[in-house]
Amino acid sequence: MLRVHFKVVYVLVKLFATLIEFTGKRKLEISGPKTVRELLDELERTFPGFKKELEKGHIILVNGKNIEHLQGLDTPLKDDDTVSIFPPAGGG
Amino acid sequence: MYGNWGKFLRVNLSTGEVKVEEYEEELAKKWLGSRGLAIYFLLKEMDPKVDPLGPENKLILTPGPLSGTSAPTGGRYNVVTKSPATGFITMANSGGYFGAELKFAGWDGIIVEGKAEKPVYIYIKDEHVEIRDASHLWGKVVSETEEAIRKEIGSKKVRIALIGPAGENLVKFAAIMNDGHRAAGRAGVGAVMGSKNLKAIAVEGSKRVPIADKQKFMLTVREKINKLKNDPVAGGGLPNYGTAVLVNIINENGLYPTRNFQTGVFEHAYEQSGEAMAKKYLIRNQPCYACPIGCGRVNKLPTVGVTEGPEYESTWAFGANLGINDLASIIEANHQCDEFGLDTISTGGTLATAMELYEKGYLTDEELGDAPPFRWGNTEVLHYYIEKIAYRKDFGDKLAEGGYRLAESYGHPEYSMSVKKLELPAYDPRGAEGHGLGYATNNRGGCHIKNYMISPEILGYPYKMDPHDISDDKVKMLIIFQDLSALIDAAGLCLFTTFGLGADDYRDMLNAALGWDFTTEDYLKIGERIWNAERLFNLKAGLVPERDDTLPKRFLEEPMPEGPNKGHVVRLKEMLPRYYKLRGWTEDGRIPKEKAEELGIAEFL
Ligand code: SF4
Repeated sequence: MLRVHFKVVYVLVKLFATLIEFTGKRKLEISGPKTVRELLDELERTFPGFKKELEKGHIILVNGKNIEHLQGLDTPLKDDDTVSIFPPAGGG
Repeated sequence: MYGNWGKFLRVNLSTGEVKVEEYEEELAKKWLGSRGLAIYFLLKEMDPKVDPLGPENKLILTPGPLSGTSAPTGGRYNVVTKSPATGFITMANSGGYFGAELKFAGWDGIIVEGKAEKPVYIYIKDEHVEIRDASHLWGKVVSETEEAIRKEIGSKKVRIALIGPAGENLVKFAAIMNDGHRAAGRAGVGAVMGSKNLKAIAVEGSKRVPIADKQKFMLTVREKINKLKNDPVAGGGLPNYGTAVLVNIINENGLYPTRNFQTGVFEHAYEQSGEAMAKKYLIRNQPCYACPIGCGRVNKLPTVGVTEGPEYESTWAFGANLGINDLASIIEANHQCDEFGLDTISTGGTLATAMELYEKGYLTDEELGDAPPFRWGNTEVLHYYIEKIAYRKDFGDKLAEGGYRLAESYGHPEYSMSVKKLELPAYDPRGAEGHGLGYATNNRGGCHIKNYMISPEILGYPYKMDPHDISDDKVKMLIIFQDLSALIDAAGLCLFTTFGLGADDYRDMLNAALGWDFTTEDYLKIGERIWNAERLFNLKAGLVPERDDTLPKRFLEEPMPEGPNKGHVVRLKEMLPRYYKLRGWTEDGRIPKEKAEELGIAEFL
């Protein structure tokens, strides 16, 4: 029998503030995305309107590092990465 | 004169004399108001070397030119005095309604001098000023005192700034409270008030703040309010979740100080975040005077009933920093501090120091006797010691001196996470190095709010900067933040407006209200002047830059043990000389004559 092993990437997505209300979820596992951009596309498919929620601004971290200082939406994802997504927020 | 009244009230509690201090508009053009005018008066009239708790120290409570107007968040006032915690200047800022009411009464501020023989309170109704006996109020907590004064005066309209037992007992981090749960919190302003035997200041006013161009002011204010309402943070995040929306953000970014800053990630952050609070305890949000944002929280608990707060900093101070995972106890601790009149950041910071001293074996069960052990996560510590601190009872007497003096008394000051003896707030600088430089150079010591580099370094306001970049651009941004914060404080507005407004917006409102045609640069120059004048006060008070402009050893030498900032320390030594240089100071952090002349403060050198 022929067995094909596909390397599937699983990432843990953590959502915060209004995004919890929007999706009804705090944490979810998503398989497949190879970049942050692909992850957002996937989230948009699962929760239509998700990207619009981020239009006014957002903070996206991969393992605690802001993607602004990585490769932006092209930041690659690998197995077991944690992606935290916040709507715009401030305080002090 | 517009915006400002051109009048301060001067009350000498030693002699009982009450005077009106008038000033010309020229002075306002140099210092704007509030925090600006206050440092001017202190430099002019007071030796910076005075004992902070002696009668020679002056206590200034002062709203700004936009306080009491319709400008968004125009309810703020500053308390400026020499701090008993740091021995340097402090400018504690508070919201609520008291600041605006003082303006309605026709005053730009009150300068309190001397010391009353017995407890008193000051009652102000427009021009009418009385010093009244407060012996029967001494010892009362904040809510009881407010209620008693309100009854005595027979007016619901009266607004009150006051101290609780902590201020009376000269706790080094006692706050001045107003409107119930609003606090001019930091660096012991409440102890200065207590040292003067002054329990409260009660104000009622009937005037309207004079505006130069009413039509223009109204239009520009409307525009700025819209900007704030449409801003996703000022108009969304803050009203919905309060400042504690930051808990998760700061934790996920790996700089949420945990167990006295031993690490930057707390395993239970979510359970005490703004999101969790909104779900469990929140009844509604609560704005200060004229505030379209409304970040204040009104929570309800079975134990304490309806209460206000906690803010982000307080949530952390009684939570992650003590390893405590119990939101109800955190809210209760915050409520207790408000009632006793204690600064939450320093209360939590001092308890965290005690916990680390206990962990390391310097503070022992033997010394504590039957009192609760300072074990990480022990909520008993909150309920037991906060009250002891306020009344300086038993071990509380040692804690009341603050974390630095506590750690020093065991021969280990390095376990106090403080700068210039003021306990640090809720951001580990190993995860935001520009913010670390801010801590080290802040005129009042370990404070975040006067140079909030978390905005660019973590939140991306006005744009995102790498938290580990330490280039000149970073240092310059810090200087702008320091000067702009000084300006906003001097104007009488809330620093949270910076989430929706830029420097030009403040210029627009100030010009319309005051009738000036200043440029944005002119206003920032005022901010720079204030910052330098405060620095000058500190230098004259005995600040030694090479000793005092620094951070706890932990941040300079112990790399962050885990999380996204693993391996990082703060490279302060590489930034500080460039900070001095870009400020136009000497290599050793002093203000040269040319700089003082450029800013028009050479007379104080
Ligand atoms: S933003 Fe918050 S602290 Fe500032 S004035 Fe408004 S309610 Fe008060």
